[in-house]
Amino acid sequence: MIIFLQVVALWFVLTTVVYLLVALYSRSVRRERLEKEFDASFPPASGPESGDVIADRDTYIADGMAEYERGLRRRLIGLVYVLPAVVFVAVVYGVNYL
Amino acid sequence: MRKLKWILWGLVLVIVGVFLNYNLPQHDIVRITDSYNRVTPLGSINQYFFAAPDSGTLASSAPDIRFIEAIYPDGTPIVYRNEDTGFWPPYLKFDSANLKAEASDYKSTAEAPKWVSVTHYGWRIAFESIYPNAVKITPVVGPDVRIVPWVNIVILMLLALAIFMARRMWLQFWERMVDPAVASVEEAGGKARGFVGRLFGRK
Repeated sequence: MIIFLQVVALWFVLTTVVYLLVALYSRSVRRERLEKEFDASFPPASGPESGDVIADRDTYIADGMAEYERGLRRRLIGLVYVLPAVVFVAVVYGVNYL
Repeated sequence: MRKLKWILWGLVLVIVGVFLNYNLPQHDIVRITDSYNRVTPLGSINQYFFAAPDSGTLASSAPDIRFIEAIYPDGTPIVYRNEDTGFWPPYLKFDSANLKAEASDYKSTAEAPKWVSVTHYGWRIAFESIYPNAVKITPVVGPDVRIVPWVNIVILMLLALAIFMARRMWLQFWERMVDPAVASVEEAGGKARGFVGRLFGRK
């Protein structure tokens, strides 16, 4: 039983590390895409109006990121915790009871 | 330097390959001849190739271990141990006693063979008395059936996916975090450039 709890604790720590890495990566990829989208429609220019464009760019990215935080894709990263537990139960059943 | 890099990668590849070869499940088509347990003194090397003692029990230098003896279709013998795996390798097997009962049930003679597929992991190394661990026994129609290793296919594909994603994440980290930091330092100029450039430069 002690061993079981140790393994669960270790599993929780490892999956949390994986979760944080995947969450950071996913957020970074989304931000990069938003930046590229904006730059494609408003090519970076230097001139009297460039200050306005930079402000718009920041708002556009902030809005996109806020949308991402509410979205399904971010929530799906939670599967990092769920799937190993499902596999664990499946393996126990398959090896010992099938 | 380049040679050393390749040697190191080769070494990593060999270690991973050996690790997978030991731990991934394999299937043997055999005919079971006997299943029993016997007190088995363990030596300094082969002790690592047997399961750890159950939690709460003292380690014994001569534990009582279940074995399954079998014969391949070509007549060569093979002996499996039949031990609970616990959490590592992650087969989560704890039905050794049931497996022994099944193995006894499938016992057969050369004249009237009952062919079974024994799922196992590990190696048989005779001179160190190391045995593969049997995990599952399933009856098959004959000695010539072909078993598709689905579990291995899935595990290796997931492993490849994990390596691919780890690489993507690493490259993304460099592109988004390290390179801009280096660039901004270089823009600022000054003495810091040489130091940080050496630290983060990828050449």
